[in-house]
Amino acid sequence: MMKILITKEVRNHVLSFRFLVTLLLLLMIVPITTLILTNDYVRKQDDYARRQTEIQNYLSRYAHFNRIGNVIAPSQPPVPFYTLVRGLSADVNLDAFDNDPLPVMFPLIDLTFIVAILLSLAALIFAYDSVSGEKEDGTLKLMLANGLTRSKIIAAKLSGGILTLMIPFLVSLAVSLIIILLNPRVAWKGSDWGTLGMIVVGAVIYFGLFTCLGILISSRHQSSSSSIMTSLFVWVLVVLIIPNLSPYLASLLRPTPSQIMINREAHRLGDTDRDALGWKMQQEKTAALLKDYPVLAPVSRMSDKDIQDAINKDPAFDRAYRVLRKEIEAVWREANAIQGEKIRQVRDDLNRKVGSQTRLSIILSMASPLADLTYLTSDLSNTGMRNLKHFETLAGGWGQAYRDYANAKMEELRAKDPTLDVWNTPVDISDMPRFQYREEALTGRLKSILAPMTILIILTIILFGAAYISFIRYDPR
Amino acid sequence: MIGTIVRKEIAANLLSYKFFIVICLASLLIATSFFVMARNFKGRQADYQLIKPKAGEPIAVLPPNPLSIFAKGLDDAMSRSFEVSIIGINVRAGQQSGNVVFSFFPSPDFVYIVKVVLSLVALLFGFDQFSREKEAGTLKLMFANSLSRATVLAGKWLGNFLSLAVPFLLVTLLGIALMSLDPALRLSGPWLGRLAMLVALSLVYIALFLSLGMFISTVTQRSASSLVILLFLWSLLVFVLPNLGTLLARQFVDVPSVRALTEKRGQIWTREALLRFSDKTDDIWVTRIKNMNTEFDQMEEDYRNKFDRLVRVSKTVNRLSPAASFVYASTEIAGTGIGEEGLFKREVIRYKNRYLEDIRSGIKAHPAFVYRYRSIGRVLAEGGLFDLAWLLVFNIVFFAAGFVALLRYDVR
Repeated sequence: MMKILITKEVRNHVLSFRFLVTLLLLLMIVPITTLILTNDYVRKQDDYARRQTEIQNYLSRYAHFNRIGNVIAPSQPPVPFYTLVRGLSADVNLDAFDNDPLPVMFPLIDLTFIVAILLSLAALIFAYDSVSGEKEDGTLKLMLANGLTRSKIIAAKLSGGILTLMIPFLVSLAVSLIIILLNPRVAWKGSDWGTLGMIVVGAVIYFGLFTCLGILISSRHQSSSSSIMTSLFVWVLVVLIIPNLSPYLASLLRPTPSQIMINREAHRLGDTDRDALGWKMQQEKTAALLKDYPVLAPVSRMSDKDIQDAINKDPAFDRAYRVLRKEIEAVWREANAIQGEKIRQVRDDLNRKVGSQTRLSIILSMASPLADLTYLTSDLSNTGMRNLKHFETLAGGWGQAYRDYANAKMEELRAKDPTLDVWNTPVDISDMPRFQYREEALTGRLKSILAPMTILIILTIILFGAAYISFIRYDPR
Repeated sequence: MIGTIVRKEIAANLLSYKFFIVICLASLLIATSFFVMARNFKGRQADYQLIKPKAGEPIAVLPPNPLSIFAKGLDDAMSRSFEVSIIGINVRAGQQSGNVVFSFFPSPDFVYIVKVVLSLVALLFGFDQFSREKEAGTLKLMFANSLSRATVLAGKWLGNFLSLAVPFLLVTLLGIALMSLDPALRLSGPWLGRLAMLVALSLVYIALFLSLGMFISTVTQRSASSLVILLFLWSLLVFVLPNLGTLLARQFVDVPSVRALTEKRGQIWTREALLRFSDKTDDIWVTRIKNMNTEFDQMEEDYRNKFDRLVRVSKTVNRLSPAASFVYASTEIAGTGIGEEGLFKREVIRYKNRYLEDIRSGIKAHPAFVYRYRSIGRVLAEGGLFDLAWLLVFNIVFFAAGFVALLRYDVR
């Protein structure tokens, strides 16, 4: 019996005008979006390759240890999933002078966006008259006059709705995948297909949730024209308003101190204050050393060349000068450490507050299925918040390796020539450790989507339960 | 006669469940948006008091724009702190840069509410104007009288527009009035004028969707199909086209990525600093700084030219959707648009160059950074008027199409 009911629902939907419109719309938009995103991904790949070449060219000519930290800073390469999901990949670059305002004005469109907006709307359009419509047509009482339980009818309506929506979704996705596969520059790995599978599961639960919502609203209304109004009202609130309000509400509830102020302060601590402290400590140290090594007395008035000559001529001066260099470097390391600790304290406090605000924003926004789906797809596809953290960890690991390498290399240079300014001398660092971005393993990402997935499932169950209760009490006459 | 139809439409709306729902929604959202955005603005204002440059400090910071409460646009990019020094401009982003959730979802400002929610509301007012009356059988009764179809269409349009615009205006004006009770949020004369223009523009935009709704209603026989078509058209016009258009334009105009520019700047500066160490005379340093800045400015100029072309192309593509036109016009009027941001950054560069001149000629006290928003006349001349006219054209086209379709409409 169940099968007949579901077949009836699906057939009813498939033959309807709204199905035709949904199918055409998705068949048009999903592939076009994928095509554009795929082209854009290839462009991003080229851009990334070009930037890496620029850095190599630069390093082959101007490599030195003092300032190249920002030149060789690792950057996120495009991931193959950019062809479908964009997450946080928009290059707005607000903390540099060169920023791109366009993504702020018009957010990027991707598969998540299409599912989140269009498919949820379609789910409601399919479901808003599932109960009230049948009542208006008079078919509801005919159905119930047979030996059909209400639970069967409502289960069939839900499965019918989801199955119907899966047709346009999967067909348009299949066309998109063909576009992606045909592009030789896009190389999807096995784990990408696993990711896609999970995203499809998430999307199906998502529009299943909206189907439940539609049935619930439909069985609370006697006429389908009022049911669609309520459906749209709820849809606008949960899809278009709650997620957008959440970071603003969180920033009211948990304000953060002025970031510009703190960043300026941190900059001052690490720059002018560090220099002042370093010079003071250096002078004190030099004065102390002069007592033990009188031979160093004229050193402050000597040029680089004079010092070199003195080292070559006088072994006592050479010994003393080595000690002096070593001590001065130790002094600057200490100054850096002292100031670094101060900066860390200032930054840690800010980061703690920002972190707490961000967490609250996420929690508030998760009341909206759209936000859950967004977090789910972006984390799965390595374009979301989890990937930001993952990238930071990788970059941190690389940073440590690079610092070890740089220290060893500088030690080597000093051993060769104690007078050398190792920080500002051109040096060959072609053997330095390279940053390599590896996508996080799928298992880790699956853990991160537990929360949004659970919320989506729980919301669906609650809505279905509510729909079931409303339908049991529904007057079909 | 037209008066009677208008009155009938308003009365019918006032009694309907639809009217109740949509007015509740619109009022709730506008009120929430005003409250949240105003509190956010006050927070940013307090922040500005902390970070604003002291006399003589070469820092360019713009106070937050009061109209960003209504049209946030690029205000976050414009109210960053640009700290000028001989090696260039050090930029620090403001409050929202830390919380990554802000970048997932657009700001729920007045422009967003109008663009997304009120356009939907307007469609809901228009979608069943003819199909419903036909289904109810009242359409043929109406036309059995000596009523021209033009009068009916105009009457219906006007009646529905009034029942939409009056509550909308009331809620908006009440919100603005409540807001101005707070002295920190009170708008001065010119800003108030701009706000009035913004609200007027919103009315034109809403009217357009009403016309579209009525047009589709005249080409469909059933209100259910009319609604389906309209909802999908709406999602296409409001969400898909503008967001896809920008990405599409990028495929045609080759603009370097901003990340590439930032990296290039880093390379230029470290290179020059390194070269300076091979020759420590001060003269060399002066020329190096000069070279570096010339290179920076050339890079920026080159990027600006390409970016402006990208903006032009994307605007042309995006204007297929009236929602994009509305966003362009409203943000430019509010002073938070793409055009304004470009001019502002140019001014920051000019400020930096003047600072370098001062350093070279030994002047120690640096003048404060001043930026004057474009006059409203210039905003209108540089695209604002075009967008307004474009919205009106959409309006007229949809209305005329509705009229033609109504003439051919089978009322039985």
